[in-house]
Amino acid sequence: MTNANSNAIGEFLQGEGEPASSWLFLVLGVVTTLIFLVLYSILYPGNDLPVISSILPIFEGVFDSGIWFFILGVMIGVFAIIGTMLTEATSD
Amino acid sequence: MALITTMLFFWTAIFVVVFMINRGIWVFTDVSKSMSMFMLEKALGPAIDFAEGRKGSGAKSWIIQGALWLIPGSTFTFSGLWLKHDPNALHSLASWGYSPTSEALILAGNLTTFYGAVGMLMIGASLHIVPTLGATKLASERNASLMSFLWTLSVAVMIVGAHKSEILGLKVLLIATAMHSLPLLAVIVNLLLTAASRTRKMALPAWLILVGLLSDPVSIVVLALLGMLDSGLGQWLLVRLVSGGFFFMQIAGISLYAASQGTGNPLWSRSLAAMTLLGSLIALNPLGDTTGTLAADMLGFEAGVFNPSSNDVIAGSFLMALASIPIIALSSNILVTMRGDDVFMENPDSPGMPEINLGALMLVPLGIGALFVQTDALTGGNELRGISISLQLMVAWLLIVPFALGAALSIYPAVTGRNLKSSIRSRWAFWLMAGGAFSGLLITMMADFSEIALAEAAVEEGSTISHDLRVIGSVLFYGTVIGSVFHCLNIISGTFRGSFVDEAPTPPSTSIEQASYNLTAGTTVRKILSSGANLDTEVVPVSQTDSLGSPTEL
Repeated sequence: MTNANSNAIGEFLQGEGEPASSWLFLVLGVVTTLIFLVLYSILYPGNDLPVISSILPIFEGVFDSGIWFFILGVMIGVFAIIGTMLTEATSD
Repeated sequence: MALITTMLFFWTAIFVVVFMINRGIWVFTDVSKSMSMFMLEKALGPAIDFAEGRKGSGAKSWIIQGALWLIPGSTFTFSGLWLKHDPNALHSLASWGYSPTSEALILAGNLTTFYGAVGMLMIGASLHIVPTLGATKLASERNASLMSFLWTLSVAVMIVGAHKSEILGLKVLLIATAMHSLPLLAVIVNLLLTAASRTRKMALPAWLILVGLLSDPVSIVVLALLGMLDSGLGQWLLVRLVSGGFFFMQIAGISLYAASQGTGNPLWSRSLAAMTLLGSLIALNPLGDTTGTLAADMLGFEAGVFNPSSNDVIAGSFLMALASIPIIALSSNILVTMRGDDVFMENPDSPGMPEINLGALMLVPLGIGALFVQTDALTGGNELRGISISLQLMVAWLLIVPFALGAALSIYPAVTGRNLKSSIRSRWAFWLMAGGAFSGLLITMMADFSEIALAEAAVEEGSTISHDLRVIGSVLFYGTVIGSVFHCLNIISGTFRGSFVDEAPTPPSTSIEQASYNLTAGTTVRKILSSGANLDTEVVPVSQTDSLGSPTEL
């Protein structure tokens, strides 16, 4: 490596535009997680998921109706709006 | 007092008020103008300095807050529909002291939707339309901005009142009414001062807005002076007058304006617009609640016994049937204005236009449906009482909300100076809202009908069909909630990052766009459309020549 090349680094660069296919990797991550969860139940049938199985009973009796999935969606939407307002108001 | 006599007093009062406003109040005109202007700004002291006074800031403030109220409005309604089939779904919140019933949630949803979302969107649009049609500027932008926050606060109190009618001996909905009366009065004075400074003759949509706003306090004062507010008939009548005046006339005014402004077509018929104005004042609008309980609660009275005489029933039924005239006139005027000379709607991708088109299409069927249910309730038959809530929700989400939201979206660029962030997102939000409300509420109504049928047949064994339909209906209605979130995100992002109106044209909303299509030989419409052309593409006939670069006949 030459000294001339080393001048090109040392600076953080970030583009303004978002590549159209970047969401693909997010979807890939979610799908991979789901596959591992399914695999776990196949490989270790009858065994509870580590960590998650000890957290979930805390919410027993609280989120015991399907309506909570929908309310969770609304909450995500509301937080998205608050987030948008905050980021838009504070961005250059 | 008989219904028709009360209506005579109302008609006289509203015509006198409109006449006086149009002609001025004798020698007091100048005094009242300067006093009103003082009350709008300087009398408020330092509070007025918190509000922005730029052009359009009042309308913008009301529209954004109105759009934000769509989310709690739809969420409360969705939760109310869900609790109809699963009453214990939210029982875990009881540990926080909150254990709502389906009825309380639907009431909270209706109040939030009608007063929070629709009320604010309508007033926001009116604050832009009246000055524009009068070729003047709004009398006080700062007062309009400030009052929007007080209105929002009153809606929050309404939500509390819907869940708990009395706190510490105080009637919560009465407090909410008192709180929202102040901004309503300020808006009326603001718009009247604006109309007084008009530099040209105002078109009918502006008068629909002004008379609609005025009819609210006028109807309450008339009924109070006649001592009818504590009677069942008076309370029922007040609901009809507010529904037909404050809501229907304002909705008519803003949507007629938006239909013309959004498509670029002139208003189709001035006579039909005038008929909408006159008909709304004379007739009793059947859209809305079938009882007067809400009016009693909001004014702090006990709900009176609704026991109309046979003359009242005949007069009420006749006046409600008469409402078909303004309903059909408004629907046809909007639909033809939006289509212009074409079969298809002009600028179908323009934000707000699909909403107004939906409202205009649903106006007649829902009006007729409401007429049946109201007449049934007035005559005491109550055979259709079971579907009244579903029908009211349909009127809210397929008629009033689309009209108010559509008009607000349509004038949004003129108010903010920016376009919405994305017209594609706007279209998605429309389909989610409209699809969710239409399918969800239709299926809920099917459940209502099934319960009515089972009750009439006196079936002893319970059926699960109604329960299953309610599950599907409530889940489908969730689309409306998501659509509301999409609309809000689009509006808020557009306020900050939307393209400037005078900078660039509205971005194309379709992925395939072709400005012109050269027609060299006979072809099918299907082939033209498949090449990427749309309804706005110009088809250019090209003559065939042998010159270089030109199409060659094979």
